[in-house]
Parts: sequence; C-alpha cells; structure tokens
Amino acid sequence: MKMAIAWGCLMPTRRSLIGYEAATRKVLEHLDIEVVDVPNETCCAPFWMQSLDLTTSIAMAARNMAKAEEMGLDLLTPCSGCFHSYKRVNYALEKYPELHSRVDDILGAAGLSYDRSIEGRHLVDFLYNDVGVEKLKQHSTVDLTGIEVGLRYGCHMLKPHEMLNIEYSERPTFADTILETFGVTSKMYTGKHRCCGGLLRGIQDDLADMVLHERLVDADNADLDGLVTVCSLCHLQHDMGQRIIKRKFGMDELEIPVLHYPQILALAFGYSPEEIGLTHHTVKTDKFVEKLKKLGGVA
Amino acid sequence: MEGSNSDSVRKPKPYRSDVPVRDADVDSAFKYEVADKFGGEGLLRCLKCGACSGGCPVGSVIDYRPRRVLGNVLLGLREQVLVGENLWLCAACFTCEERCVQEVNFTDVVTVLRNMASEEGHAAPGYVKMAKTVMEHGRVSKATGHVGKIREELGLPPFSEPDMEQLHKIIQSSGFLEIIEANEGRESEE
Repeated sequence: MKMAIAWGCLMPTRRSLIGYEAATRKVLEHLDIEVVDVPNETCCAPFWMQSLDLTTSIAMAARNMAKAEEMGLDLLTPCSGCFHSYKRVNYALEKYPELHSRVDDILGAAGLSYDRSIEGRHLVDFLYNDVGVEKLKQHSTVDLTGIEVGLRYGCHMLKPHEMLNIEYSERPTFADTILETFGVTSKMYTGKHRCCGGLLRGIQDDLADMVLHERLVDADNADLDGLVTVCSLCHLQHDMGQRIIKRKFGMDELEIPVLHYPQILALAFGYSPEEIGLTHHTVKTDKFVEKLKKLGGVA
Repeated sequence: MEGSNSDSVRKPKPYRSDVPVRDADVDSAFKYEVADKFGGEGLLRCLKCGACSGGCPVGSVIDYRPRRVLGNVLLGLREQVLVGENLWLCAACFTCEERCVQEVNFTDVVTVLRNMASEEGHAAPGYVKMAKTVMEHGRVSKATGHVGKIREELGLPPFSEPDMEQLHKIIQSSGFLEIIEANEGRESEE
C-alpha cells in the first residue's frame, strides 16, 4: 500500500504534537505502508480560513491535492482539520460547478490543475477500513488490558457525515473498536462527543476556555488513565489548555494525560514512550506510563 | 462545582438585539443574497425549530443560539448579523448541521455570512492575523529551533518552510489580498 501524506501545519511544528507525527510514521512503517510526504505542503485552509474566503480556501486545499494527484496517490492525513478541508474540495467542486470553474482558473494562474481523481483519507478511517482490525491485532506485541481511556473522536473527522462519509457522528464506534482490539477499555462518558472549542482559540479565548472547562470537568469525573485525541486542535485544547483551565477555574488537582490516537497503536506495537514523543506533552504522561509499566505493557 | 471562580471569568457580551425590530433596520433582500452563495442555499428551508440551538456547545456556556442567528438573517437584519463579534462565536463543530432535519447547514451559512462580513472589513482580527502568517510562511504555525531539535531526536525529517510561489499566485488571483486589505489595521483592536 502506498499513499501520499499531508501532515498539516501544527503537527510538525508544535512540541506537544510532534509525537503525533512520530507515532504515525512508526505505525505506518510497522504495517508496511509506504507514505510519500506532499512536496512543499502548504496550509489546507480549514474552517477558520474558509471563514475569510471559501473560494481561496478551496483553491489552497486543492493545491496540496493536485500534488498528490501528480503522484497518482490518494491523500492520507492524520489531521482532522486537513481531512475536512480535502473532503470539502471534491464535495464542493462537484456540488457547485461555478465554484469549480473559478477554482480551475485560480489554480491555472498558479500553473496547477486538479481533476478530482484522488480522495482525501483520514488516518484513523484508513487504519480501520483499509488495514483492518485483524491485521492491526496481528501486528501488536503488547497487551494493553487494564488501561482505561476516554476517546475523543473530535468533530472534523465525522461531521457532517454527508460530506465526510465515514460513520454517522452521534454514536461512532470504529475508533473505539481499534483501541479495544489491543485490550484498552474505551470508556463512555458525558461530553465524549462534545466540541472542545478549539476553533475559538485566537478569536474568542474566554469562550474557548469556557467550552474546554466543561469538557475537562466531564473527563475528570470519568476517572480516566488518560484522554486519547484524534484531532490536533482537541489535543492543543485538552493538553496545553489544561494548564489555563487549572489556573483560571481553580482546578488544582486536575492532571489528565492526553495522548494522540496513533501513540496508543505504537505502544501496542512495542514502541517505547520516548520514541513516540510522550515526554514532550504539556501535561506529564508519567502517570499513564507508570500504569503501563505496572501492567507489564512497556519495556 | 467551582462556582465562585467561574463567576469571575469575563463572559462575552450576550448579543440579544434591541427590540422591537424597526423597518429601517430590515433589508428584505438579505436572505436571498445569502441563499445565493455557495453553501447558503439551505437557509430558506429553515423552520426555526431550534434543533441547532439544542446541540450547540457554545450555547451551553453563553447566550448564543444558532436559531437566533438564522432568524435574524431571515428577518433581514443585515448589519446586526454582519457587524460585531457575534458572527464569530460559532466553533464549527457541525453538530447543528448534522442534526438539522431541513438540511439548512447552519455552519455553511455561517461561512457565507463570515465571507460577506470579511469582504466588508468585519473579519475576526485573530483569523486575519493567522491568514497573514500563512501568506508569509505557507503554514499557520512556524517551527522553532527547539522543535527542530526534538524532531531530530525522534528521527523525523527536518522541517522546512515550503516554496511560496504557487501559494502567492493563488492568493493574488483569488482576490484574497483585497479581503485582507479591507480588514487592515483591525488586528490591534483585540
């Protein structure tokens, strides 16, 4: 299997998100899936950029897709924001012919063309549907039984399902199924599927804090070993934002480790916490790693 | 549970409008203008049932109601909708879009409204600032030397800023520079 891959803006450049890229590369390598980085990848122009101008944003996302198309490869991404943007390109170009010709003109001015011959794919959906739970299980070497996490699918991998076409968003199960394959208990808890307010960061910081506060109270009440996030923004909110919430709302005891989804897979495949960047998160992941060690889940 | 502390948090002002609505504030063509743009076509199907407001995560912490935004657009309160921070309170979680029985696609309507506001110089300063970072560096986040070192430690390929030529051409020919221009000087307001 061979895919083009786009990492997005945040994952390669933020300390607490580098582990997402590191774990993803290790997981894909372990599964013998070859990925080629999109050359000169630029911003996918997600929702915040679409807020300023939709047409420009579609053209910007189509630029990265055009690069994958040149290689004849579908475009995989671990970033839910990027995934949403790439899915929107094909969806919007098909739905609005006038937009299509406008975007063609813009791309033409930059010496590019995009023919909609490839699809944007989300890493987690790809692992579930193309790799398959059986193969993931066969490749695992470490049993994670005893670990209890709260899995956050995030919004932009699933909603709206009409456009993203993965699984109906109200009660998704596929990403829990993968975790449970490795023995992990994925707990149902209040607020599991609610928005983290990540897109309000930078324009309405107080509001972003208030939404996040609700999510962290929910997670705290659920008595978890850690949260597991799929979306980069979810991670920035729950991990980096946790410090703000602690201070602002006087939640001194709050300390929930927040892991990236592929980090759990990498641990099940036998990689060490250090090589998948677990030491670089804002909230210390020591508690989580300690428990793993106690369970014999880490060398 | 942290009642006394959360009370001290500054809450964004509720955006409830002045009542009653005056003829002079109503632009009856506004809803058609919105419905005519990519993603705005669902607007005219809205029955104002409120399913959007019921699932809104922002509405659960402040007085923000997607149904009220839709109602104001349908009424034709152009200026009230397009000017001010109220339009920029949606967190784009798409829950309302997912639940709407009429396929109004509120989040897409918000994009249409924000595009109109941006064109008139009323974009959220924070997003304009982020766009400028993208226009300069190709991405919304720059890598630091510290991050470069961690990448090296983890055996990741070195991160380099992308070649900007194509992106610049896209932004020039799409009219995006004019939109940024229309919002010039507003970043400092925040």
